[in-house]
Amino acid sequence: LSLFGLFDIAKSAIFASQTALTVTSQNIANVNTPGFTRREALFAVAAPVALSGNLLGNGVTITGIKRYYDQFIQTQLLGQYENYGRSSALNQTLSQIEQIFNEAKNIGLAVPLTDFFNAWQELATNPEGFVQRSDLLQKANSLVLAAKQMERGITDNLESVSDSIDNIAERVNAIASEIAAINGKIVQVEAGSQVQNANDLRDQRDVLMNELATLVDFSSYEDENGSMTIMAGMRNLVSGETSNSLSTRTNEEGDKDLYLDGINITGNIKKGQLGGLISVRDTIRTNSLNGLRRLIASLIQEINALHRSGYGLDGTTDNDFFAPLQLSTRDFSSGADMTATITDSSQLTLDEYSIQFDASGNYFVYNKQNGTLVTSGAYVSGSPISFDGIEISITGTVTSTDKFTVSPLTDVMRNFQVAISDQQKIAAASSNAALPGDNSNALRIVQLYQNSIANLGGATLSSYYGGLVSTIGSMSRAASDSLTFDDNLLSELNTKRESLSGVSLDEEAANLIRFQRSYQAGAKMIQITDELLQTLLDL
Amino acid sequence: MRITSFMIFNQLTRSLQRNMEDFAKLNSQLASGKRIEKPSDDVIGMMRSLDYRLSINNTEQYKRNIEEANFHLQFTDKVLGSVSDSLLKLKELLSMGGNDQTDENRSFYSNQAAEWRDFLLELSNTKLRDRYIFSGYKTDQVAFSYNSSTCHYDYNGDLGKIQIPFDTGATLPSNIQGSEAFSLTLKGPLPTELPDGTPLNYTQTTDSSTGVTTITVEIGNAGDPDYDTFSVSNLMDVTNVLSYAWQYKDIDGSDLHSDAAIREEMAAHRLMALSIPLDDAGNQVLQVQAEIGTRQVHLNDQKTRLDNTALNLKNALSKTEDADMEETTTEILKTDTALQALRESASRLISQSLLDFLK
Repeated sequence: LSLFGLFDIAKSAIFASQTALTVTSQNIANVNTPGFTRREALFAVAAPVALSGNLLGNGVTITGIKRYYDQFIQTQLLGQYENYGRSSALNQTLSQIEQIFNEAKNIGLAVPLTDFFNAWQELATNPEGFVQRSDLLQKANSLVLAAKQMERGITDNLESVSDSIDNIAERVNAIASEIAAINGKIVQVEAGSQVQNANDLRDQRDVLMNELATLVDFSSYEDENGSMTIMAGMRNLVSGETSNSLSTRTNEEGDKDLYLDGINITGNIKKGQLGGLISVRDTIRTNSLNGLRRLIASLIQEINALHRSGYGLDGTTDNDFFAPLQLSTRDFSSGADMTATITDSSQLTLDEYSIQFDASGNYFVYNKQNGTLVTSGAYVSGSPISFDGIEISITGTVTSTDKFTVSPLTDVMRNFQVAISDQQKIAAASSNAALPGDNSNALRIVQLYQNSIANLGGATLSSYYGGLVSTIGSMSRAASDSLTFDDNLLSELNTKRESLSGVSLDEEAANLIRFQRSYQAGAKMIQITDELLQTLLDL
Repeated sequence: MRITSFMIFNQLTRSLQRNMEDFAKLNSQLASGKRIEKPSDDVIGMMRSLDYRLSINNTEQYKRNIEEANFHLQFTDKVLGSVSDSLLKLKELLSMGGNDQTDENRSFYSNQAAEWRDFLLELSNTKLRDRYIFSGYKTDQVAFSYNSSTCHYDYNGDLGKIQIPFDTGATLPSNIQGSEAFSLTLKGPLPTELPDGTPLNYTQTTDSSTGVTTITVEIGNAGDPDYDTFSVSNLMDVTNVLSYAWQYKDIDGSDLHSDAAIREEMAAHRLMALSIPLDDAGNQVLQVQAEIGTRQVHLNDQKTRLDNTALNLKNALSKTEDADMEETTTEILKTDTALQALRESASRLISQSLLDFLK
């Protein structure tokens, strides 16, 4: 071994220290970079040389740069991001809906509803009073306004849910195409290499996948080339260097459905913000929106029935107090149209119905709320079908694939208004002969407030409304609790990840000194070797 | 566990955030005085307080109804008091002038009776806030009016009782029908002859649709020259008959009889025959007043009960939804202390680094 061998060892020491210093600097520089995983230069003894039967050291080499990374934690993190995304979407939307029903601040229907019935009591004490009559009309109009505002609040929220779904889908697409691009780069960099050394690209991809997980739930696997395949709703979102685009379409209910690769995957999306938004809009629709509509529909139905039986000061009877309920229909048929009318409003169940046909020309009417068969029979073209106070008639030819729906609830709020404009027509009396002092019909309407109503499942108007408030309150509470829980869990997992992958400045400062010293020592070795050579040359 | 800079920082910001959130929430509770600011703060408490508030609202409405009913009943009672007084005066008149024979005096009594008659008619047609209070449901029509073709006073109202709700499912009428207060029904064993031995017969028929009882009085035996019959259906009728009888006339203004002696006797009989209905009418008015009193007592009891209920409900509401000020203030102090401690430790943790010691 020549003296020059010493140079080589010293040089390898300097180079190794320099590399380690670079890695340390990189760590320090990225101490605040999200998703950065700390690196460490791996030192190894260079392959020794055999000399006179002895193995002599040949310096140091850097075998690689290690990325402190735990796939298990990362997988857990992704799952938790999905939960967190869902909870935050639920919490945000439900807390807004809750504000519409915030009875703690007297926002909602409780006050206008009691005011309305109190106005009837005032009328009962003064059946011929014009002040009481105009006050009643005013209270009725306030009730209408409040109910409409509440519905608008809910539908506005549903619309903003739809908008959010659009926006999130766009962001998902942007992330998907970025991941696809990074996939390509990783494969390129790591091609032929035994180690996963595209560290920065991997960090970037992890950050993107974390963000994607807050938006939508997905499953992913990495192939042997380092390319990540991502599947959302059981369809490929990212595969190699290509990404499919997530698109939205408006469905029958007016909600946005998600399509990936031309397939409707809405039902398969359970988590992430998208999953949260999809589930919360259904909850809001069935609980708050339909509940509110059912309450108002019952009010219209009950008040009108009583009011029609009474007499106004002008002796007229059979007047509706609120504009009567109207049915809304939808047909999913190419060759036939359907119209529906209410034949007996006292028989209305306020449920929605669907009408279907089979191949042998029979019709089937189903109650959409409880799925029961209401009526069926052989369909005679053109002749009406009657059930539960509703009569439908169909024009055109029906086929077995045709489907029609009838709902008394959809348009309730749109048509909700006070039908009485002339206060004389308010029917406080039960008999024409007893005008104007008869207040017995007003008393019956006052009593309605305490009555249990069959179409509200036996609840009274106010207890049914109380149910709506408590439902949204409990849901909002549950959402905010689970958001807190998911947030804590996420923070816990992030701490775990940080504990392994994060940069500690103290540690890096120590490393700086360590590698600085080893660099200095290496330099000293060169100096000493040089002096040794000088000694040799001076001989 | 390996601790990194980010972990310390993250932990710190989260703790600060959580503390600030608590702080803000407590502050808002202190500002609004409410423990429940939205349904999800306490769903069960919220439902309870909604229930309480609706009950309070109902109670207040019932109290307003009771006040209104009480006002009506009080007013009616005053009017009936005047009716009662008038009847006493009439009786006085009758006992003073029953046997007076001078034309001058009789004409005075007759005029007096006519005045009481008109006063009673006025009372029967009293209005309160544009409503005739004795017309039953037909509050837009005068209760009694003079019918010039029958020369009687007719009741134009009905039996309508204006029920006022004063509690859940409970009502009480706020009016007295004219047929009850101004029409009269004779009670108990009725005399069959006048003090002078002349046969006397009262026949009563009640009209079920108006409640008005018509009393037909027969004096003497049919066929006798001094045989007399007439009918009265209310206090005005009675007074009217009296007024004319003092002038020896029938209510249509014609003489009771062409013969002066018979005329005088018939007039005297009429005055005697009417003293019983007048007594009964006085009693009947007193009974109606007693009925009003009973209703008022009932309503006042109810009002006291509602006042208590409202107070209880308000207390319960306050307990459910109001923030406990002392507790909230203490909580704020606690949070504040925690926040300060956190800031102190944070300032030490963050400012220290190995780099400071490497020279």
